[in-house]
Amino acid sequence: MTTGAAGFQQIAVEDFRITEEPFYLPINDEVELFETAYRDKIPVLLKGPTGAGKTRFVEYMSWRLHNREGRGHEEGVPLITVACHEDLTASDLVGRYLLEGDATKWIDGPIARAVKNGAICYLDEIVEARKDTTVLIHPLTDYRRLLPVEKRGELLEAADGFLLVMSYNPGYQSALKDLKHSTRQRFIAIEFTYPPRDQEAVIIERESGCTADAAMELAKLAEKVRNLKEHGLGEGVSTRLLVYAGKLIAAGIAPRRACQVAIVWALTDDLEVQRSIEEVVASIFE
Amino acid sequence: MTRAADLSLEFADELRGFGASLPEDFAAAATALEPRLSEARLEDWARAGMELAHASLRSWEAAAEYFRASPVVIDRLGEAGMTGWVRLASDLSQKSSLMAAAFLKSTPAVLDLLPPAELEAWSQQGERLCRGNWKSIALSALYFQVSPELLKSMPLPSVNRLIDIIDQLTERSYELATNCLESSPAIFAAVAPADREPFLNFARAVTRASWADTRLYFERGPKMLAAIAPERRTAFLDLAARVTLDVGRQGFPLFADAAQSLATMPPETHGDLLAFSSRLAAGSPGAAMEYLKSAPFIRTRLTPEQMVRWSDMGAQILEAEHNPEGAEAYFRLESQRAEEMLAALSARVELQSVNGLLRMYAKALSGESVAVMSSENLVDRNIGWVTSSGPTTEGTSIYLPPFVATFEDREENFQVYKVFTTHQTGRMEFGSFAYVFDAPGEHAPAKAGEREARIAAERVARDAIAGVESKPAVEAATPMQRFFNLFAERPLILGIFTVIEDTRVDAMTAREYGGIRRSLRHLQSHEAQHRPAIETMGLRQAYVENLLRASLGAPEEVRWPRSMQQYMTEGLAALKLAELEGATVQDSAEIAAAIYDIAVRIPNVSESSEADGKFDTLAEEFTSMAPAMPSGESGDVEMPQGDEMDFENPPQPEFRGDFKPELVQLLSRMKQMQEGGDSEDGEALTKEQLMELLQNSAELDLDDFSQDELENQLGMFLDNLEKEANAPTGDPEDDANGNALPDGGKGDADEADLPVQIDWFYYDEWDFRASDYRPRWARVGERISQEGGSDFYEETLRRYHGLVMETRRQFEMMRPESFKKYKRLEDGDELDLDLAIEFQIDKRAGIGPQARIYNRRNKIERDVAVAFLLDMSASTDEEIEKPRQRFDGGDDDKDFTGDPRQYFQWLAARRARNNTEPPKRIIDLEKESTVLIVEALEAIGDSYGIYGFSGYGRDNVEFHVIKDLDEQMSERVKHRIDKIEPIRSTRMGPAIRHTIHKLDEFAAKVKILILVSDGRPQDHGYGRDRTEKEYAVHDTKQALLEAKHSGITPFLITVDREGHDYLKQMCDDIGYEVVDEIESLPRRLPTLYRHLAAD
Repeated sequence: MTTGAAGFQQIAVEDFRITEEPFYLPINDEVELFETAYRDKIPVLLKGPTGAGKTRFVEYMSWRLHNREGRGHEEGVPLITVACHEDLTASDLVGRYLLEGDATKWIDGPIARAVKNGAICYLDEIVEARKDTTVLIHPLTDYRRLLPVEKRGELLEAADGFLLVMSYNPGYQSALKDLKHSTRQRFIAIEFTYPPRDQEAVIIERESGCTADAAMELAKLAEKVRNLKEHGLGEGVSTRLLVYAGKLIAAGIAPRRACQVAIVWALTDDLEVQRSIEEVVASIFE
Repeated sequence: MTRAADLSLEFADELRGFGASLPEDFAAAATALEPRLSEARLEDWARAGMELAHASLRSWEAAAEYFRASPVVIDRLGEAGMTGWVRLASDLSQKSSLMAAAFLKSTPAVLDLLPPAELEAWSQQGERLCRGNWKSIALSALYFQVSPELLKSMPLPSVNRLIDIIDQLTERSYELATNCLESSPAIFAAVAPADREPFLNFARAVTRASWADTRLYFERGPKMLAAIAPERRTAFLDLAARVTLDVGRQGFPLFADAAQSLATMPPETHGDLLAFSSRLAAGSPGAAMEYLKSAPFIRTRLTPEQMVRWSDMGAQILEAEHNPEGAEAYFRLESQRAEEMLAALSARVELQSVNGLLRMYAKALSGESVAVMSSENLVDRNIGWVTSSGPTTEGTSIYLPPFVATFEDREENFQVYKVFTTHQTGRMEFGSFAYVFDAPGEHAPAKAGEREARIAAERVARDAIAGVESKPAVEAATPMQRFFNLFAERPLILGIFTVIEDTRVDAMTAREYGGIRRSLRHLQSHEAQHRPAIETMGLRQAYVENLLRASLGAPEEVRWPRSMQQYMTEGLAALKLAELEGATVQDSAEIAAAIYDIAVRIPNVSESSEADGKFDTLAEEFTSMAPAMPSGESGDVEMPQGDEMDFENPPQPEFRGDFKPELVQLLSRMKQMQEGGDSEDGEALTKEQLMELLQNSAELDLDDFSQDELENQLGMFLDNLEKEANAPTGDPEDDANGNALPDGGKGDADEADLPVQIDWFYYDEWDFRASDYRPRWARVGERISQEGGSDFYEETLRRYHGLVMETRRQFEMMRPESFKKYKRLEDGDELDLDLAIEFQIDKRAGIGPQARIYNRRNKIERDVAVAFLLDMSASTDEEIEKPRQRFDGGDDDKDFTGDPRQYFQWLAARRARNNTEPPKRIIDLEKESTVLIVEALEAIGDSYGIYGFSGYGRDNVEFHVIKDLDEQMSERVKHRIDKIEPIRSTRMGPAIRHTIHKLDEFAAKVKILILVSDGRPQDHGYGRDRTEKEYAVHDTKQALLEAKHSGITPFLITVDREGHDYLKQMCDDIGYEVVDEIESLPRRLPTLYRHLAAD
């Protein structure tokens, strides 16, 4: 690990470890499921709407698994996250040669590093990636646990702690952006939904530092707003937005205003829907 | 013997020849005159009379009048005057003795009113009316006859003016003139003296503008005036006269309308209204009258101050913008500006404007697909709800009054709507309709079961004593009914249950929605202050009223006799239980039952019949008690005696609205049954059960029906309820995005029987004179077109086979259109730097590089949506004028050899062709073109919609969907094309606007609207009058411009050869084409489209 002049930290991806326990409130049996999958080396697909806590869950599991394995955090298996996008190529994932002076140098891509280091490799929003890229991971996800490195003519066998985790949001699923069956049938799927009101209130309170009452009202608001999904809203309000609103409220911004900027305006541009939600906000917050 | 007697003798015989009574009349007059006239004069007088009598065949009648009037008249006229008088009479009798007689007869009475000097003027006026024919003679006689009465009301000059009017009328109709003159005395007597002159002025204006209205005015005018503030009538009449000068024949109708609306306004406002109206009249008399007409409506929406601001806006259009047409439209409320201003000023909130908002709000709160509708809608369905002015729910939708104007502030009124919605949503959200029989509540144990058993046992015992066999009761249809069945006084239990349950819902709402608490309290206290006087109620009713007041958070408003304080205390304590956290509808029911047991013991006697029973304010006693169920032991108070009044529940506070849990439960059970009833109580309801419920329910207002009607009424309710249960629940708008309606066995066979479903849309229309939109002016009814056979489609394809192939090929060539980037190509027009570097690296590293380093932009996907709008007006029924079919003897005229055989062959062939081919109409060409373009578009893959329009009047613009934009081409579409038929008019503007709406909803990069028509736009009322064409052209132009603003390329195709003139004006910089050779339309349309879509 090197520390830059401006005080920022620069670390190699495979060295990134979660050293402090992230806050995660288990809603269901997802923790148990994940642990079992990790033990049995079954790849995991996390499904659910945005801001429901998928990424946080992976971080939490990575921290928790290290602890359980009894390894010190320094040696623990890191978490490598790749945010997928439509220009993501196979080389971006596996690795490529770079020029160095007159010679070339091979650089491992994030998957290769995860495979070598036995890390959890988390491919966020996998549907965004090109389909030919997703095929690349197939040999990694079955009993073979192999990563072919075409350009070097090598096969990498995954280290013990390696696990492939992907997330995707079926919400804006269109015919164009759907997972191929050959891909999706290689994972167990854990479904994430928004937590029930009481639990969500706990999360908001904990994450934002606002009062329990405010957190409860926010959770109530979330429940009401989510009723509007498919009736003017494409997606319900995420817990993440609620936490933002909670933070604003905790900082002394009037609740109605906080909800307006963090929730209403963030959710939609449709004026009528905005007004409707604002009225719900006005009904809940004094 | 006197001179008079001599004269009498002298003329007796002569006189007797005229008529039996004449000698006596003469003798009496002569005798009376003798003392006042010299002998010579007397003789002159007599001779004048005789001359008069001899003048013509019937002039003796005039003479008789002369003799009779003379003794009276002489006092006024004196000797000299008499001569003049008789001269006038004889002048008249030259024309008509009848007229002269009338003149003479009226003279005595007229002389009471006129100085003798004016006698001549008076007679001349009558003479003027006489034109020699008998009708005019009768009229002028009438004039003399009514003169005394008329002159009582007005001076002679005024009478003269009236006669001018009458005289004018005679040019049209003597009957009418006579009629008016006959009624004049009574009319002018009824009009106040000061108003008579203005009345006459306006009458003159009316006569000039529209003579036939004069009689109407004479008949109705005074009554109309009577409704107007007396000191303002002159001003009003002056105004009306001024307006009539300007607007002509509309003058009187405008006056009548304005008078009618003034009559509905408080008299003290008339002054201001008329003053403002006069101000307008200077610039636009029409606007002045429209202002008066609209005033009452405006007044319902605005306060007087706001109204002034609204009117000033209109005046500004007139005075600052110099746009009288605009001002007129403004005051007629047919302008968008007027409506916007009204909405901006008015504190009143219309449901229409907040409906969408509230619907989404209710959905958010309840989590269900609730619709928000006007209460009128529910009342119309006749399923038991009768109040259209309050909010309510039938369990699946929320019904709200059409507007709220409770407060003087707009925001406050909106808050009222919100509270309405929240309370009704609360009923759903907090389970008001989820009552389950005999389940315990959170705070009250379940006792309904016990009660039921006790009642059943009592009944069996009673029957045993009476010696009758106990019949099993009809099983209740719903749990709510079963519960209500336990109480003898059903209205009472319903009333109490309603109060308790509403209290619970309010409390839950306040707890759950902190933000609405303030508005809720505001409304509660508003309601609490507007409760009916408790003093007039019977005690039992007062008891319920008190519960209600307490439930509105106003225990200080409770009024109750101190002697019975304990009853009230227990009731109020129980009420408080419903406000506790966690209370459910079960609690409400049990609490209501307990309170019922108290209330039912209180006689409904009036307070005055009770000795010391004053209604006391017991606020302290009633605010401090803890929530508790009644002990049931407060029985020892002596009840007041007296005559019992009918019990009636106190009125519901407006914001809570009707509560009908029994009906709601029934409805939902019936719905479950319809849907296949997989619920536990899925057993079918018997008709007996249903009738039983309806008959006993206190929720239906059946008091007004006799026994016979009751049967009918209940049967009708039942039918309506069944219909209701069949209807899909929730918000119909949600179905709009759904793919298809739930498949309820809706096969083709059924379809024909179903009534055509019409969706109505409203559009503004452009009034170019006012330079403003007429808001919600045209109503467009969208419907799926009827289906015919597929023959037409196939036949057209066969006939135009070659053309079809050709257009298809041409269209296929234009397929690639918009750009999409292609990456990683071995060849292309641009180099990808990243890939190129990678390629170099790979080459150096010695691994087999792939030289896919080029990008290319490709025209790949088209994204075009086109809507074809076909004119289906009646004129498209016209046959196409074919070029005269002549024998051309094969290829060339010149080759005609004169061989008759050849000619007959041709003739026979032509006949055969005409028989198989009926003459072609414009609509046929439209249809054929449609077929061709459909084929072409299917080849190219563009999205397209085909619509037809016609209709009649602004309320009924028919919009036929032949193929919707997002609909797939199918057999059905082919069938629908067959059914494209001429209907009625051509109101283009609204049809274009609706098509714009459709294109707007559709996602595409390029949007095109092609209108195919056969002539200029025209429709009933599509213009100021029937002949006006400007309005229609301007509105269409405006609609086309709107299309451009929405990013749509509009294009007009017309087969009207004279189309150039108006199209040039209508289309300005919008593309259009006049297809000269009508028959080339099928060929032309695809070509045009290709150009349009390629731009």
